[in-house]
Amino acid sequence: MSETGQYLFAVTRGLPSDALASVHGFQGEDVRILPCGDLQAVVCTVDLAEFGEDALRANLEDLRWVEQVARTHDDVVRAVAAAAEAAPMRLVTIYADDEGVRRRLEEVRDDLVAALDRVTGRAEWGVKVYVRPDDAPDAPRPRETSGVAYLQSKRAAATARRTADEDAESVARELHEALSGATVASRVLAPQDPRLSGRRERMIHNGSYLVPFERADEFQATATLLGSSRPDLIIEIQGPWPPYSFAVLETG
Amino acid sequence: MAVEYRRPGQTLPGHPSSDSLADILERVLDKGIIIAGDIRVNLLDIELPTVKIRLLVVSVDKAQEMGIDWWRNDPMFNARAEELESENRQLRQRLREIEGSSDEEESR
Repeated sequence: MSETGQYLFAVTRGLPSDALASVHGFQGEDVRILPCGDLQAVVCTVDLAEFGEDALRANLEDLRWVEQVARTHDDVVRAVAAAAEAAPMRLVTIYADDEGVRRRLEEVRDDLVAALDRVTGRAEWGVKVYVRPDDAPDAPRPRETSGVAYLQSKRAAATARRTADEDAESVARELHEALSGATVASRVLAPQDPRLSGRRERMIHNGSYLVPFERADEFQATATLLGSSRPDLIIEIQGPWPPYSFAVLETG
Repeated sequence: MAVEYRRPGQTLPGHPSSDSLADILERVLDKGIIIAGDIRVNLLDIELPTVKIRLLVVSVDKAQEMGIDWWRNDPMFNARAEELESENRQLRQRLREIEGSSDEEESR
C-alpha cells in the first residue's frame, strides 16, 4: 500500500478487545480499536488509491463496489453493537491517520457521549408495512357501451383505490402509535424506493424504533397483534439492529 | 399470517449479514453519524441503472468550522480556500443583517 488513511466504522466504549476477532476490514486489513480518551474508535487502514477522494468519486458510482463496502461496514458495526453501545458512522468516513481520528472525535466528544448514552441498552428495530397486492386482478370488463359508463367505472376504481389508500395509511399511523409504546424513540422514514428494494408491493410505512432490550418481546408482540388484525397488509419487522437512526449527533 | 419476521444475520463469527442490499444501504448511507473525515465526499445524485444514492457533502466552510483544514498547507487549495472563506464571511454577515431586520419587523 502506498498512501493510506483510516476508515472509521463506529465510536464505542468499553468494547472488549476480542469483540472484533470475527470481522475484517477492507483488503484483508484488520479492524482495530483506537483509544480516544474514554471512547474508542473502531477503524481499519485503507489504501487511498481506492478510498481517496478521486477514487471514491469513481467507486461510489459502481454499485458492486458500494455493496461490498456497505456490507463490510455493516458487518463491523454489528460486531461492535453486539458487544457494547455503538454510534455507527455513515459510510466512508476517512481520516489521514490515527491522530486525525483522535482530533476529530475529541472535538465532538460531548455529543458522542450523549449519543452513546441514548442508545445504551437499546436496539433499533425496523417496521415496514406494505399493501398486499389485490389477489384478484381486474376482472375483465364487458366492453363499455358508452363513454359515460366508461368514465363512471374509472371513477369508481379511483375512489376504491383512494379509500384503500386512506385506510392503509390510517392503519400505518395506528401501528406506529401502538409500537411507540414500547419504545423510547422512533423515526418515520420515507418509503423505500421500489427500484432499490425490488418489491412489487406498495410500502406505506417505514419506521425505525429504539427499543430497550428488555422490551423487545413486547414490541414484537404488539406488531404481531396489529398485523394479524389486517391480513391485507404485509408487516415486516426487522431487528435488532445497531442504532444507526438514533446514535446521532444533536449539534454540529 | 400478515406479519413476517426477518432477523438479520446475527453477529456470529464469520457469519455475514444476509440482509437485502436495500436495507443495508438505507442504514449505512442514509443513517449513521455524519462526521466529516479528512477525505471529502461529494454530494451526488448518482443514477445507477436501478438505484439512486445520495451522499454526504462537506463544504470547505463547514469543514473549517469543524476544524478540518488540512488543505491549508497545500498550495493547490490555498488560494481557492481563502476566496471561499472570504465569500462565506460576507454571506454570513449579509444573512445576519437580513435576519436582524426581519426580527425588528416581527416585533412591531
